[in-house]
Amino acid sequence: MTDRILIFFAKLKAVFGQSKDDTAFSEEVNAHLDLLSEQFERQGMSPAEATQAARRQFGNLTLLTQRRKEARTTMFFSNLARDLKYGVRQLVKTPVFTIVCVLTLALGVGANTAVFSVMHAVLMKMLPVHDASKVVYVHTTGFPAGAHNTGDEATSFSYATYRELREHSGLEEVIGFIPMSSSGKAPVRVGTAPEEAAGDMVSGNYFSGLGVGVELGRGFVQKDEDDHAATTVISENFWTTHYSRNPNVIGKTLFIKSHPFTIVGVAAKRFEGTEGRLPLDFWIPLQSHPDFNAWGNPAEDGTYLTIPQFWCMRLMARIPAGVSTDQALAKAQGIFQQAAYLGIAQKRAGERIPQLSFLPAKQFDSQDDTFARSLKTLMAMVGLVLLIAICNVVMLLMSRNANRQREFSIRLALGAGRRVIARQLLTESFLLVSLGGAAAWIFALAATRALGAWARIDSNLQPDSVVLWFTLAILLLLAIVFGLAPLRAAMSSGPDMALRSSAAASQTTSQKTRAGNVIIVTQVAMCVTLLVGAGLLLGTLRNLMNIPLGQKTEGVLVFGVHPQHVKSKEESIAFFVNLQQRLRSIPGVESVSFASNRPGSGWSSNNGGLLVDGHKPNGAEPEQAYYRQNNVGSDFFRTMGVPIAQGRDFSDADSSSATQVVIVNETFAKKYLGTLNAAGHILTNTRGLHPRLIIGVVKDHKYTGITEEPRPMRWVVFTQGDLENQLDVEMRVKGDPMQMLPTVRTFMQQIDPDMPLLEPMAQSEVFQQSISQQIMFARLAGCFGVLAIILIATGLYGTLSYRVSKRSAEIGVRMALGAQRSQIVWMVLRGSLLLTAIGVAIGIPFAMAATMGLKNSLYGVKPLDLTSYLVAIVGVAVVALTASGLPARRAGSVDPSSALRAD
Amino acid sequence: MPTDKSEVLQGTLDLMILKTLHALGPLHGFGIARRIEQLSEDVLTLNEGTVYTSLLRLQQKNWIASEWGQSENNRRARFYNITRRGLKQLALETENWERISAVISRVLALEVKA
Repeated sequence: MTDRILIFFAKLKAVFGQSKDDTAFSEEVNAHLDLLSEQFERQGMSPAEATQAARRQFGNLTLLTQRRKEARTTMFFSNLARDLKYGVRQLVKTPVFTIVCVLTLALGVGANTAVFSVMHAVLMKMLPVHDASKVVYVHTTGFPAGAHNTGDEATSFSYATYRELREHSGLEEVIGFIPMSSSGKAPVRVGTAPEEAAGDMVSGNYFSGLGVGVELGRGFVQKDEDDHAATTVISENFWTTHYSRNPNVIGKTLFIKSHPFTIVGVAAKRFEGTEGRLPLDFWIPLQSHPDFNAWGNPAEDGTYLTIPQFWCMRLMARIPAGVSTDQALAKAQGIFQQAAYLGIAQKRAGERIPQLSFLPAKQFDSQDDTFARSLKTLMAMVGLVLLIAICNVVMLLMSRNANRQREFSIRLALGAGRRVIARQLLTESFLLVSLGGAAAWIFALAATRALGAWARIDSNLQPDSVVLWFTLAILLLLAIVFGLAPLRAAMSSGPDMALRSSAAASQTTSQKTRAGNVIIVTQVAMCVTLLVGAGLLLGTLRNLMNIPLGQKTEGVLVFGVHPQHVKSKEESIAFFVNLQQRLRSIPGVESVSFASNRPGSGWSSNNGGLLVDGHKPNGAEPEQAYYRQNNVGSDFFRTMGVPIAQGRDFSDADSSSATQVVIVNETFAKKYLGTLNAAGHILTNTRGLHPRLIIGVVKDHKYTGITEEPRPMRWVVFTQGDLENQLDVEMRVKGDPMQMLPTVRTFMQQIDPDMPLLEPMAQSEVFQQSISQQIMFARLAGCFGVLAIILIATGLYGTLSYRVSKRSAEIGVRMALGAQRSQIVWMVLRGSLLLTAIGVAIGIPFAMAATMGLKNSLYGVKPLDLTSYLVAIVGVAVVALTASGLPARRAGSVDPSSALRAD
Repeated sequence: MPTDKSEVLQGTLDLMILKTLHALGPLHGFGIARRIEQLSEDVLTLNEGTVYTSLLRLQQKNWIASEWGQSENNRRARFYNITRRGLKQLALETENWERISAVISRVLALEVKA
């Protein structure tokens, strides 16, 4: 065995420096011959005789040299080099074929890599923390009645619950973190320019508990949390972008919400926080200052630390070693269900007690099922695209290699082994797949970036090693398939083929045609499926885009303003009223208003409990009267372009000291007042307190997003509501709202240089983003549909052209025997139409089954939408006709005499 | 070609070269060929070129090593010598050969029963 290995290495070494060995060997042999002839001369031969005798005794020098060449190194490499050279020559000789194959592979494999990469990052990748299998996200089914929450219900806990779980649940670590604001970002300042950065306020064990290291400095310690220390750890990315990776960054000051924080560490490179799609820039320990209340909420009545009913904190936990997740959960459940009611006077009868659950510590906390489903559907779609692409390349390869049958038979006739030909084909296939794979990888990198942007995911989705292996596995499989598929065709031609005329050889065997037919039919069937799916999703997109918003969002600019150092309600009102006045003075601004929840962003205040004129609201239980609310500024409905059905809009006269007023929508009026004439009635809370006069009824319009159903909704002017420390400015301007942005930015900087504009956007864009996932989904599906159609077209065209060219002799005979041009054209067309029809017939049930899975992603379209099916069928038929038209015409123009003379 | 000469048995050339190098120390190809010719007393015919094929084979197995040096007539020549692995192999092969030749001798010595 060792001998074999030694020989292999010796041969491997000899691959290099072959010519050196040649010279050395010839020198050695010449020396030998000289010595030998000298000896013969000494024995009395003449020099000429001696040389001859020496050669005779030495043996066949040429043969010996050749043997040596073969023996000294492994033939594998030199053969491979030869095969490669030949393969490259083949590819270069047929540039169109090569380009079509490489592009097809790039699109097919690239699309799969990109979608898989996103799917892997979103659904499978674990957080880069120590022993991630022991780390979990903590979820709850809700919060107890009497508490209130900010953030997602499933991931919000009160500070009191956090403390209790941490101390008594038996979990190794309980880690808490709170976003800085509803957008996750907060104003920060490194040098002089203010900007927004994403950050979390975290417990002292955040880094140590998760097991995340640091590039520099240190993570937090418990003392940081206990002292609410003004320290911060920044992300590796923030360190790079804002401090150019300066190692002296430790000890520098970062201003967050105008408060100075000392940088104590830089987090490990791959760690981007625990907020899923939003990569974080910094972390600070849990703070007690009112400016740092959870989610940036105003702290009028206290902060998250002091209000036990305020559910706002996200939790993760580390399961102790040797304890199963279920055991740990069971233990924590009891503690949690007691702790949840801390600060709540008493449990309501029949109340559903919140349940704790643990979810694996993936990069993305899996709450968003729709996205996961969309991704899986996309994966299925790109899978189909890949299959179609494979079929295409296989067909192209088969027809090209069938053209080379003569070459193969000549090679066989000249003594090439079948193994040699198989190796040649595999080499060519590997070459093709390598080219396609390289192009696919480049395409995938760009496509992943685009996918991330469309899905509004900022965190890193770029392909990692797992994705690379996935792609390489696909490519390897393809290389083997592509190498072996044409093998049979190549082998079937024995050496005798070389002797036959091409006309005789052109007779296609029915077996070979059948294989091609099966592929075409499969392709058409898959194409129909993809097209139906794409049609349904595009229909959904059309429906979504055409949903009336009930308001004129065009020409409205929106941006958030968070005044620093506003402590009281009076200060806040004074600031915003002043701001409104000043913004109105900008030329080109038609009207200015405010909203505490940005319409279209998905955020909403959901409240419940009211009386109408002191009575039950239209027969409903007062506690059960749920509604959504938004606190807004004067001129709100004029600014937003919402028609007022009755009464009036808020005006500057609705100040904090004036009559408390409210505006409701039509659904509210109908549901809780039983009439659209609601103006003049008075709303109070369930105890009859805080009366508000209804001054207007507005038409129903969309609030949280495009797909929401009309719900009871009311608006309160912010001067008469709770303290607002951050409002969105809604600004109706002439022309493109984004054009106005620079002017507004300079204007705002004059008011306060430390105050960035938060997420400035066109209001119409905000609503668009509420369906960005559906838009992305539909667009991609449309792209894949088009891609499939193009692939089918090239595939059909290639195959039919090839068949026609092979049958030109037969067609010539037919024409010579009196067949009409039209008959020949029809003969070719009929063949492809028949195949298309069979493909469609198989594809439709397949599509029906597939689209059932799409059901949940559709809006206003049924899975069995007739139009989508018809369009798909007609589309495939038209493409099939077009793709076969050219070859058919060519068949019709075969000149019988030249076709028959060809051989 | 005289008929009383036998072809070199396949594989035996390697063994002969190993032994030659073992007995005489570093030698070039010509020297090896001479030595074998001499020892075989014209019983074996040898295409001297095949010595080099054998030398390459032995070198690949790391049984012999080579280096350049001066030949008797002051030419550059490659000198081969046996390695430690080669010595071990030689012992093994020798033993093998003796066993087999003993067996063959015994078989050939069988007397024809009357």
